[in-house]
Amino acid sequence: MTGMNRPIKRIAIAVLVMFVILLVNVNYLQAVQAPSLANRPLNDRSETEQNQVQRGNIVTADGVAVATTKSSNDLFKYQRVYPDGPVYAPVTGYDTIFTQSQAPNYATGVEKAENSLLTGTGSQLAFRNFIDMITNKPQKGATVQLTVNSKAQQVAYQQLQATLQGKTINGKQQVGGVVALNPSTGAILAMASYPSYDPNQLAVHDTTKLNSIDSKLTAEDPSPLLNNASQTTLPPGSTFKIVTSSAWYNQDSTRNPNTVIDSPQPLQLPNGNLLNNDSNEQCGTGSGKTAVYYAFAQSCNTPFAKLGIQLGGSTIKSMATQYGLNNPSAQDITGVNVAPSNFTAEADKSFTAFDAIGQHDTTVTPLQEAMFAATVANGGTLMKPYLVQQVTASDLSVVEQTQAQQLGQPISGTIAGYEKQMMTDVVQQQEGTAFAFNANNENGLVIAGKTGTAQNGASTQPDAVFTAFAPADNPKIAVGVMIEGGGYGAAAAAPIAVAVIKAYLATVGNQ
Amino acid sequence: MPSPALGDQPPDEAAGRRSTEMWMMLFACGIVAFAFASTAASLKDQRLSTIVEYMIAFLVIVFGAHLAVRRWAPYADPLLLPIATVLNGLGIVMIYRLNQAGRDGNASANGQPISTLSHSATTTQIIYSVIGVVVLVVFLALIKDIKALQPYTYIFGLAGLFLIALPALLPSSISGVAGTGAKIQVSIGGFSVQPEEFGKLLLAASFASYLVVNGRKLSLLTEKWWIFSLPRRRDLGPIMVVWALSMLLLIFEGDIGTSAVFMGLFVAMLYISTGRRSWAILGFLMFIAGAFVAATFVSHVHQRFTAWLHPFSYANLVDPHGTQPSYQLVQGMYGLGNGGLLGKGLGNGQPFWTPLVQSDLIFTAFGEELGLTGVMALLLLYGLFVQRGLRTAMLVKDDYSKLLASGLSFMFALQVFVIVGGVTDLIPLTGITTPFLSQGGSSLISSWLLVAVLARLSDTARRPAPKPIQDEGMTQVVSLR
Repeated sequence: MTGMNRPIKRIAIAVLVMFVILLVNVNYLQAVQAPSLANRPLNDRSETEQNQVQRGNIVTADGVAVATTKSSNDLFKYQRVYPDGPVYAPVTGYDTIFTQSQAPNYATGVEKAENSLLTGTGSQLAFRNFIDMITNKPQKGATVQLTVNSKAQQVAYQQLQATLQGKTINGKQQVGGVVALNPSTGAILAMASYPSYDPNQLAVHDTTKLNSIDSKLTAEDPSPLLNNASQTTLPPGSTFKIVTSSAWYNQDSTRNPNTVIDSPQPLQLPNGNLLNNDSNEQCGTGSGKTAVYYAFAQSCNTPFAKLGIQLGGSTIKSMATQYGLNNPSAQDITGVNVAPSNFTAEADKSFTAFDAIGQHDTTVTPLQEAMFAATVANGGTLMKPYLVQQVTASDLSVVEQTQAQQLGQPISGTIAGYEKQMMTDVVQQQEGTAFAFNANNENGLVIAGKTGTAQNGASTQPDAVFTAFAPADNPKIAVGVMIEGGGYGAAAAAPIAVAVIKAYLATVGNQ
Repeated sequence: MPSPALGDQPPDEAAGRRSTEMWMMLFACGIVAFAFASTAASLKDQRLSTIVEYMIAFLVIVFGAHLAVRRWAPYADPLLLPIATVLNGLGIVMIYRLNQAGRDGNASANGQPISTLSHSATTTQIIYSVIGVVVLVVFLALIKDIKALQPYTYIFGLAGLFLIALPALLPSSISGVAGTGAKIQVSIGGFSVQPEEFGKLLLAASFASYLVVNGRKLSLLTEKWWIFSLPRRRDLGPIMVVWALSMLLLIFEGDIGTSAVFMGLFVAMLYISTGRRSWAILGFLMFIAGAFVAATFVSHVHQRFTAWLHPFSYANLVDPHGTQPSYQLVQGMYGLGNGGLLGKGLGNGQPFWTPLVQSDLIFTAFGEELGLTGVMALLLLYGLFVQRGLRTAMLVKDDYSKLLASGLSFMFALQVFVIVGGVTDLIPLTGITTPFLSQGGSSLISSWLLVAVLARLSDTARRPAPKPIQDEGMTQVVSLR
């Protein structure tokens, strides 16, 4: 019966339609959806693929590899290695076998920020990868060069460790951070945090091990995963007098470091409470009048508290914002998680008095401390901090290069000169709080700095703060140090800053 | 009675096209050999001698099939065998490649070999290929005329039903597939058979002979239901019976795939024999309605549907109760995505993450290692195979052969659609084999049996009309076979 041929033809068309649907669907999956499938949850293939490419190294400005790879014999071809793990942990962060889309909370630091270039998948590398593909060379990730100086970083971490190891407040490990900047560019020369962790432990290929270590580190209080150099905020204490005095100089061009201001002891606040100098000591000669530079060097509280009351919260806040506080663009640094430093303008002048001397609710990070000194050192211009110097592809061509960028100019060159003079006096003058370090400048090294000793409600021990730059006449490095519960700034924080400065200047041939 | 004149006539080479078939088979074997070489180059610790042995065994098998076709079905369609060859060969290569995962320092998900693939999996698959080709040879040698099968309508029907129903009747310890809700095999002493693979073929033969007799009745006697011209209610019996059976299959064996193939086969053959679209639409709607009801009330069918609709939902991926409804599907799709356009190359992908990648999801392994390009080629091969079967159905003269050829071809197409559509999340994923590629004897042997039937049918269809004997004065003897 040839009558069946018509239905058979129709069946053939139905079959054709079925196969066309299948073809369209595989095309959709494998051509269109492939990239989004790669980033879906629990995609073991993507994890493995990512770990088949030799990840690029992370090296310091002076060429020391701080994150590298060695070959591995398991499912993954390479194992990430951090030769000096805890020292560089706040900088490198860590890389895990999880892809970032799958486990966004894993991986931090430069490893996370530059992931696409380190793995060699970034769009900037697409053409080079194509060339590698046709020349049959294995794909390799790009190398990321940091601005960090290995000597400064080593010393910063060692000093922090020596100061803080085993020290606790209320049973909790005390924390501390050090940041060193190149004042004229903003390049981060060192960024150390304590307590730290070993990123090698998080680079393991065994997911069970990885998860247990990650939850252990996360659960610890304080968590070593937190970068105390940029994520922990403490009161700036007297270092904030740089901001208060800047705002004061800025108000009237006739003011200079020799201008004499009121220095009562104690100072009666508008709400009737009393504000005292440290140990209730008299400022200067005790006459109730002291030159600004002297009050600054001795770090008297009452004169600056009184200046604060005169200036008002909003004037100080405007200056603080230009220095980088409350300033989101100062927090946007590739590879660095930055917690905001805060200054709140209070309506109540009694609170403003405390704010003016870096107490009350003003909080800053060690990075912000370094930015105070860097601004003064750079003639009043604040450069934006950056951590990644450049990225070079596996063929050594430069893929990315960071250009120094100006964040703002909080103070004029003249005022910067006044601040520099005052900060130099802190270290050079007999009455300066950091005069103890004068003994160390026998080789002609002049350090300018400001100590801070901040009452922190949480503990009886004040937090130690120091911000400094050197050499004073030709600044090459600015350092901010904050030690939780460290005691006097001069005692706990200043030695660390000086050690970092000396280590760095030794490498650039200036001692 | 065979005519002596025809017996003396050598096969017409031009009409038979056996040489074309031979060259195409050599080409197919070349593809398989290249695939073997490519796999061996990518994997660690390969012994060339083993691969050469496998390849020689494979060549012997398929050229055995070729010689059998030359001898017993000289006019068979020349494309059937080369397509079966390349598909079977690539299946063996993929099983070999998967077999190596976790062995000899090759990568695998947990460092262990894929658990269900023993050391001898490749050899076993080659032995199944041998059995499949032997079945083809025996079938072609014994069954000279497919119409010899026509009288056994009810015997084939009952035998087919018995084979399909067998796993459901047996306890789960024998028929259950580990880790799935399906009961589709008979497993005794480590050796398992999936009887439904053969049951389907028997049912197709049974449907064909039933519909040759009853098709015309079903097509002519209709009654008007509202605006539709539908079959008389009393003629609905057979379709209701088949529908009920497919639903029972769905519920008791948890096997949506076979149920769909089974129902689709019957409906397509019903449509072909009656020429009435109303049958096709009715059958299709009945299946959809039944499947919907089953998806609502039967838990493991329901699970398949939710996995299909929400494959990436975390709850479906990682079920707290230990079942992972969509894990397998999603891993298969990740494999396809990982393959991208050109694939990772044989031996370079990571198909081992996908559970049951050697059987139900072998298509995704090809997608990962051969890429979109490779799976499109596979789909076109399948499409071409089906098209040759349907072409045979058009050419062949008698109704029984037409129904059988078209029914089997459509069933084959439907099976490919159900499994490939399943692993690509087009339709709910169901555990049926990918013809010729999947690991497993039952599927491979029944696929070769299908080739045998189509070869026999196409041989009949393409055989040139007998030439009249020219000797004067003698009565002309014409073979009508």
